[in-house]
Amino acid sequence: MRIRPFHIALALVGLVMGILLSVQFRVTKETMRTPQISRVQVMASKVSEARAERDKKQDQVNRMRADLDKIAGGAELGPLREDLKSARIEAGLTEVSGPGIEVTLNDSNAPVKPGENPNLYVLHDEDILRVLNELRAAGAEALAINGQRVLAATEIRCTGPTILINRNQRLTPPFVISAIGNQDNMINSLKMRSGVVDYLQAFNIQVSIKRIAQINIPPLPVNISFDYAKPTGEVQKGP
Amino acid sequence: MNRSMYLSIGIVTMILGVMLAVQFRTNRYIEQSVPADRAQELQVELSKLEKDNRKLDREIEDLMYKLEQAQKGQLQAQAAIEDELKKARIHAGLVTVSGPGIEVVMDNPPSQSRRNHVFIIRDEDLLRMVNELRGAGAEAISINGQRMISTSEIRQAGSFININLERTEPPFHILAIGSPEKLKSALEISGGLIDYFKDLGIVVKIQSHSSVTVPAYNRSLQFNYAKAVRKG
Repeated sequence: MRIRPFHIALALVGLVMGILLSVQFRVTKETMRTPQISRVQVMASKVSEARAERDKKQDQVNRMRADLDKIAGGAELGPLREDLKSARIEAGLTEVSGPGIEVTLNDSNAPVKPGENPNLYVLHDEDILRVLNELRAAGAEALAINGQRVLAATEIRCTGPTILINRNQRLTPPFVISAIGNQDNMINSLKMRSGVVDYLQAFNIQVSIKRIAQINIPPLPVNISFDYAKPTGEVQKGP
Repeated sequence: MNRSMYLSIGIVTMILGVMLAVQFRTNRYIEQSVPADRAQELQVELSKLEKDNRKLDREIEDLMYKLEQAQKGQLQAQAAIEDELKKARIHAGLVTVSGPGIEVVMDNPPSQSRRNHVFIIRDEDLLRMVNELRGAGAEAISINGQRMISTSEIRQAGSFININLERTEPPFHILAIGSPEKLKSALEISGGLIDYFKDLGIVVKIQSHSSVTVPAYNRSLQFNYAKAVRKG
């Protein structure tokens, strides 16, 4: 077979193809490890590591507190320990349990009619605030949303369909509010005529209330710190 | 035209096809893999966890010292428990605290412009105000001398608003301890709470202070239903 011009052309094309192919492979490989992708991956693994570490430390703190209470077991310290117990409940430092109710809230599932504002039919942070407030007014002693303890400094913020509480803990619907306290008082006060439940149901928001004989409410893993507020009249100690 | 040429063209076309496919997949991979806000979200969570861990380290150190002391004798044990109590009381809001912060005064519109009850400050206005302050990092909040603790309610009762079962009425003096700039800007952000209140005619004044004093919760705590869970 004689070499014809088109053979040379084919050889050239083949060469170009080969170069293209190798470039393509290298680009693909590099894209797999672009800084941004690996940043997300590294960060995600760091986050889960840090979370595991926190949980471990939290357990240790809980154990140490219990140990301390045990050691200081003398009768003379009885009243002091009682004070400590209730202060810790209020501060959200201990897990508590008791009779109570569970209020489940979810967005409306009624179809939105044309011309209506769909925003009226989804849950807002304000709705959750109202329910919490009503429960507090009815004497709730401990509160949580989806297992996140609600405390004095807990904020409820709406971000799209999710809410953020306790400084960036993200919760997704349905929102289950647990409250320990007098069941009858809490239910009556929620279901009061033109009360919170009436208000929410006017917007077709799904509300269900359950009595529960024994609810456990977890502590806040790490309490919101006091970086600005200092006890009055106390000279600040150095680290 | 001969056979070998068809063969060559066939091979070249095949390679081209493979390249095209790889290229498409690479592009898709790039598109779906990097939502920038996800990285940011993770970063926020990570720095919070790291802060938590530092706090827990301090707590563990502190408890270790206390355990050591408590084993020495009754007196030391008492001191350790007292110190634990002090810490818990600060977190619970049972201690008067002071620090930098802001003072917000809210009042109903002057009576001549008050046409109906819509524009009177209601419990939900205060609830939103308190929630906004918490969101901006407020560490301690009081309204008309009533410290907001985890069980504090803000509830309309006729023309009064009950806070911690205490009747209050306007003007409302709200004190919040935290970063004054953050607190102030959270309220004053355009389209924010202050704009809304002003549109309703509610009179709002905000002042930063280098030190405000938020009083302690002034009732005794009672837990009739909630009991601490014992572990271990």
